[in-house]
Parts: sequence; C-alpha cells; structure tokens
Amino acid sequence: GAVGNALSRQVVDHYENPRNVGSLDRNAKNVGTGLVGAPACGDVMKLQVEVDENGKIVDARFKTFGCGSAIASSSLATEWVKGKTVDEALQIKNTDIAKELCLPPVKLHCSMLAEDAIKAALADYKLKQDPNKKEAEKKA
Amino acid sequence: FCPGCRALQPPGPRPDLFRLMECDRSFRIDVQQLQRRFRSLQRAVHPDRFGQRPPKEQFYSEQHSSLINKAYQTLLNPLSRGLYLLELNGVEPAQETDCDADSVFLTEIMEINEKLAEPKNEDILEEIETLIKVKQEELTKEVTAAFERDDLQEAKKLLAKMKYFANLEDKLKNKKIPS
Repeated sequence: GAVGNALSRQVVDHYENPRNVGSLDRNAKNVGTGLVGAPACGDVMKLQVEVDENGKIVDARFKTFGCGSAIASSSLATEWVKGKTVDEALQIKNTDIAKELCLPPVKLHCSMLAEDAIKAALADYKLKQDPNKKEAEKKA
Repeated sequence: FCPGCRALQPPGPRPDLFRLMECDRSFRIDVQQLQRRFRSLQRAVHPDRFGQRPPKEQFYSEQHSSLINKAYQTLLNPLSRGLYLLELNGVEPAQETDCDADSVFLTEIMEINEKLAEPKNEDILEEIETLIKVKQEELTKEVTAAFERDDLQEAKKLLAKMKYFANLEDKLKNKKIPS
C-alpha cells in the first residue's frame, strides 16, 4: 500500500542531500574499496574508506546506482564509518542502518548491501596492508 | 468457458503461463506464435466483449484479460521468462550479494552507470545503447544454452547479470525522454 511505497523522511534526506558522494584513490595503500551488487534488484554500490596510520577511518566516499533506499543506506554507511577504527566499523549491522532510515521490510536488502559494502572495503584495505599474507594465501 | 451453458468461468488457480499461451515450457520460444496466441486469447476474453453479460462473468473476463497480459509480458521478455522458468523449476532467483568473484563485471556496470549519469550527450548515449544491446544479446544466447543443457545454476547467474543490464536499459530510456 501507500505506506510501503513511501520513502521515509530519513531516506529522502539522504537522497536529496547525499553525504560523501565521490571517489578516493583506489591505488593508495591506505584506501580500501568495496564494490558490491544486489542481483535481485540490479543495484550496484561502491564504498571506499581512507584509513590513517592508527587504523582509524578518516574519510569515506560512496557511489551507488539504485533505489533511494540503497543510496541512503550507503550514504549513511559512509557517515557512520568515519571516525571509527577498522574493527569498530566491522561491527556496523544492516539492522542498525535499516532502523535509522526506517526502511520497510521490502527494502531491508538495501541495508544488507551497505553492510556488505563496508565489509568488502575493509577487507580490501586489510589485504593491501599485508601483501605477504595475500601471497601466502595464493600459494596455499 | 462452461461447455454446457457457455458462461465464462474464472481462471484456474496458479496457472502455468506457458500452458496458457500454448508455448512449450522452454526458454527458446517462437515470439510470433506467442503474439498470435495473445491476440486470439484477448479477442475471446476481453472485457469489451462482456458488457452485456452478468457481473460475475464481467469480473472473470477482467481476471482472464489481466492474466493473459501478465503471461504475455512475462514470456515476451527474456529476463522475466528466464526467471519464471527458474521459479517453475523450484530454483530461487539470486539473492546473495555479488562481490569479489564478480568485481570485473560489477566494475563494468559501475562504469556504464557513471557514463549515463553524465550530462546528456547524444553520441555517448548512442554508444551506450549499442553496448547494452550487444551485452543483452550475448547474455540471452548464453542463457538459452544454459537452459538447453539444463544448467539451472548457470542460468540463474546469467539472469542476475541480465538484471543489471535491464536496469541500465531503463535508465537509458529515461535519459532519452526529452526533459
């Protein structure tokens, strides 16, 4: 019905005033890039984080092509990861994102996509810090 | 229609859309035959033909007409046809987030999206339109082959890719509408 289709105030806000849209230098050693897609709806989401020497996320950017809820979820995700350590950011749950944005059940997968994007970006960052581990994993 | 009194009956529960349109349950279809069947079915059940009939039959005619529209649209479009076939075979469409394994593909989708988001440029739009069409044709061929050798998991993966391109196609159409 109408309630299910209406975008929440929070989602509209992120859609009209998205925070942190853009790109970071994916070749920089302290930048982690996560690129994820939702096959059921065809949304794509790129989330990048810049981490300082103390393991703290100092900058984040996103680019999302998809529905308003997906855009809002990734926008919120970039806001939330800033200032957190890598391990703290890994604790961000899709349910928290969905709650903050008042996402209806049919859009819960958008918040899941954002959580997956955060994890992918951080995994990429970690991999870049430890190239030896990468080589060892390749040889294994 | 009731064989005795020729009154229109309601559609059966959970109809098989392939059977309804008299098509073999396969990904490969004869589009012209599908269109002929669509037109002849609509001629028989369209609400315009039931203006003088009792309200119950008018209602059934609307249901039939809707169902035939739905069947036609589902089977005409390769993506929806493929997804429907998966459903009939008890295979759920892809739900898991695509990430590492598909980064080359996702990067490509991202790049096309970024180009589309740029200010309207006729030449670039044409380029993108051609690219999308070519990719969709390629994928349709691969999906046909996958279904033919009964590889439903591969069909599922390929249909997921088709979904991304279907979205791009919609965005392109919207971009071409004069603002």
